[in-house]
Amino acid sequence: MSHIGDRLRGSRCELCGKEYFKLKDYCGACGRESFGKMKNIDFFYEEGTLETCTLVDKPTNKFTRLGPYIYGLVSFHDGSVRFPGRLTDKIIANDEDVDFEDLEGRNVVPRFRRRHAVDSSGIVPTITLAFTFADEYYPYHERKIAKPSKEYERPGIVGYGAYTSRFRIKEGAIERSIPFFDEDAITAAVEAGKFGLINSEIDHRLVSKVYVGSESNPYAVKPIASKVAQVLNLGEEEHKEGLQCVDAVDTEFACKAATSMFKDAASLVFYPESKKSYTMVIGTDNSQAAPRGEPGGELDFFVGYGACAFIFGMYDVIAQFEGWISITSDTPDFWRRDLQPYPSHGGRFTGKPAYFKHVTKVVQKLMEKLSLKPQDITYFVAHQPNAAFPTRVAKALGFREEQFEPGLLVKKFGNTYSGCSPIGLAAVLDVAEPDDRILLASYGSGAGADAYSFIATKQLKESQNRQRFTVAHQAENEFLQYVDYGTYRRLKEGLSSI
Amino acid sequence: MTEKGPAVVGVGRTKFGEHYERDPEHLVEEAGLVALRSVDVEREDLDACFFADYFLPITNKIGLEEGFLSELLELNIPMEITRSFSSALSNACNAVQAGKYSLVLVGGMEKMTDRWDKIRDDLMLLEDPWSYYAGGTPESNHELMLRSYMKTHRLHDNERNLLMLTLAELSVRNHENALKNEFAQFQRKISVDMVLGSRRKLRRPLGLYDFAPVSDGASALILSDSDSANSYTQKPVSILGYSLATDYITFPSRRDLTGFLSSRLAMKGALEASSVGLNDISVLQIYDQSTFVGLVTLEDLGFYGKGEAWKSVQENYISSEGCYEINGEKLFINVNGGLKADGNPLGATGGAQVFEVFKQLRREAGERQIKADALKNGCVHELEGFGTKAYVFLLGMD
Repeated sequence: MSHIGDRLRGSRCELCGKEYFKLKDYCGACGRESFGKMKNIDFFYEEGTLETCTLVDKPTNKFTRLGPYIYGLVSFHDGSVRFPGRLTDKIIANDEDVDFEDLEGRNVVPRFRRRHAVDSSGIVPTITLAFTFADEYYPYHERKIAKPSKEYERPGIVGYGAYTSRFRIKEGAIERSIPFFDEDAITAAVEAGKFGLINSEIDHRLVSKVYVGSESNPYAVKPIASKVAQVLNLGEEEHKEGLQCVDAVDTEFACKAATSMFKDAASLVFYPESKKSYTMVIGTDNSQAAPRGEPGGELDFFVGYGACAFIFGMYDVIAQFEGWISITSDTPDFWRRDLQPYPSHGGRFTGKPAYFKHVTKVVQKLMEKLSLKPQDITYFVAHQPNAAFPTRVAKALGFREEQFEPGLLVKKFGNTYSGCSPIGLAAVLDVAEPDDRILLASYGSGAGADAYSFIATKQLKESQNRQRFTVAHQAENEFLQYVDYGTYRRLKEGLSSI
Repeated sequence: MTEKGPAVVGVGRTKFGEHYERDPEHLVEEAGLVALRSVDVEREDLDACFFADYFLPITNKIGLEEGFLSELLELNIPMEITRSFSSALSNACNAVQAGKYSLVLVGGMEKMTDRWDKIRDDLMLLEDPWSYYAGGTPESNHELMLRSYMKTHRLHDNERNLLMLTLAELSVRNHENALKNEFAQFQRKISVDMVLGSRRKLRRPLGLYDFAPVSDGASALILSDSDSANSYTQKPVSILGYSLATDYITFPSRRDLTGFLSSRLAMKGALEASSVGLNDISVLQIYDQSTFVGLVTLEDLGFYGKGEAWKSVQENYISSEGCYEINGEKLFINVNGGLKADGNPLGATGGAQVFEVFKQLRREAGERQIKADALKNGCVHELEGFGTKAYVFLLGMD
């Protein structure tokens, strides 16, 4: 149930064309003749229609945290296949009038979400039978697979996908992205990866390894990357056994869990025997913070929700690696012990000896290594726990506003931890020109920093033309929904327990 | 099939409703004893037992229910458990018809209120797990079918209003009928305004008064082969024809979303198995889990064409006689109050439906006895899940 529900698949009889909403070995109409003639079809990237709907005001027990919500029938392929589904990303107020007639007939796209609540020791069930309107915050975007055309001498970024939710809290100058009830670090990772595949147009079967960096994995022991690999169908699929021929691993180093792996992912596709493959790195977090007033509650002003996926390869590169460097020291400025719900941090200590020291040093060393001056760099993106830190560090390193502002998204999304500096990089790639040099400096508490220099290629333009779900689209959008602090805490808590 | 088919010789039931203080064994004992006493039969005379319940293993944590029954009845005869009462009756009929047994106890019971609100999850997982995982509730499939019906049959403003008003009237009528039914869960009058008000309050197409309740209760009957039926009673009620049909468990994947294919096939099968025609039916018990399913069942069973019932049901009702006049024939529908007012303890519901037809045909229904001079045959329609299985039994007296 879970595997099929995760991917929204069906079957088509190659003899008569009849379609089924589940995986079937034979066609009811064609009988035994059809064994072996059934083709798997995939609705995961498709657009459906909400045929009829109703309001669920009193859900069954495991769904109460989601309600009230719109529930209905979604059809694909002009009604040849129908699925049950609920609309997600919609808070329905107690006094709100719901007109089903207005909703019926509209196009919807499947999202990857938590299925329902479970107790804190259970497996987190997920599902794709949750939909959003195709003309709202997440626009429908056709998934195409293109053949690799141009091989590069050095590995680079082939595509990327950033994902933040439509829900925001606005306090003073800062807006922050918050998950809907059915979202978490796992669902954001899958969505970001999905956008990455759509943007890059690579064949998902060629992905040889996926790395997922997070510090808010709902599991203490169990990878997110396995879910990403299976749902996104990465590597060749051994369908009968339900296996993906791909390596998948979770990484953890506070906010640099993902960026740390960029060099590993790039090195892997540079290895002679795997030059035809791709690797994917995702940073994802439903950034954790204690409620205000409790120890660690200071972080509650800055935490965001989001993920960003990068795909690396040797073909059709949009930004090539020019160089990288990393530094590490055992500086415990931020931590969370096992079984603790929220992280702790070292107060003022997190600034000078931690963030500033590491970020400044790593950038200086990389610039030294590549003999670069600030004016040689088009865009500078640093880790963004708040707006002040990256601005201060950028200025101290000699960067001007036009170099670091385009990649400074913390004011829009909050600190998305592992997804933070990657979303900044995605924002810059959305607007950069060929030959632009982009310097990325991540930071992870504990502590360490990675610096990368990328040079945009001519093929970046093709990627930009394909990109519909840009970072700018997510930052400024008529479909954003702003909520108050009480709702924010409830959304943040989500379906984490019954 | 022998000419007459097996016969129901005695029936019994409990009141439906909440039986918090009573264990399952007491409920089934009560219904069974009434049935056995009515035909002066001892437990030892029984050849076999067919028993129905959906949720006893969940609600009362009874695993091997046959053993539970063996202990309760102090018998070691063959016993089988099925889900709906109709399923138990259908199996019992098959066995009696085949000459395997000649006297059989068919029983059904349910104790849903022991599960508190968890019963809604149980119901939904039973009837449509995919829809459950997508967030559906036991009510939502009815509402989606209603909206599909409106769209498919292109009903607009005034027509929709008439349909919704008709559904409200059906609920009001069920409650009215139940006033005379001492076994009914709800013996109180409701008004059209109450039905409409609940829908408005919930912001849903159908409201509290459109759905059958959650109930506890038990029912039982004694089934005999046709040859020995007269040795138990002067007035056996024969099963003239019966049939069942199945359909996909996942409602959204069915081709027709505006009715139940299973009901249509079961009715067709039952009519074909008997010499009874639609116009020979006077007493009809339909499985109206909701007012809308009640309406659409009248189409599925053939009393109205597809997409026709909504405009005719209300004008076909003759309130002075408490019956509908359809195709020039008088038809009494759910005179016990239907599932809405009589109650719906799943495994026992079908037994209460047969109970009603049995009593009416024998003119033993007391205060709610149908006044018509000539009562022809009876028909019982029962569903499992949301139309996943449908059973139709045609009953009649010589």
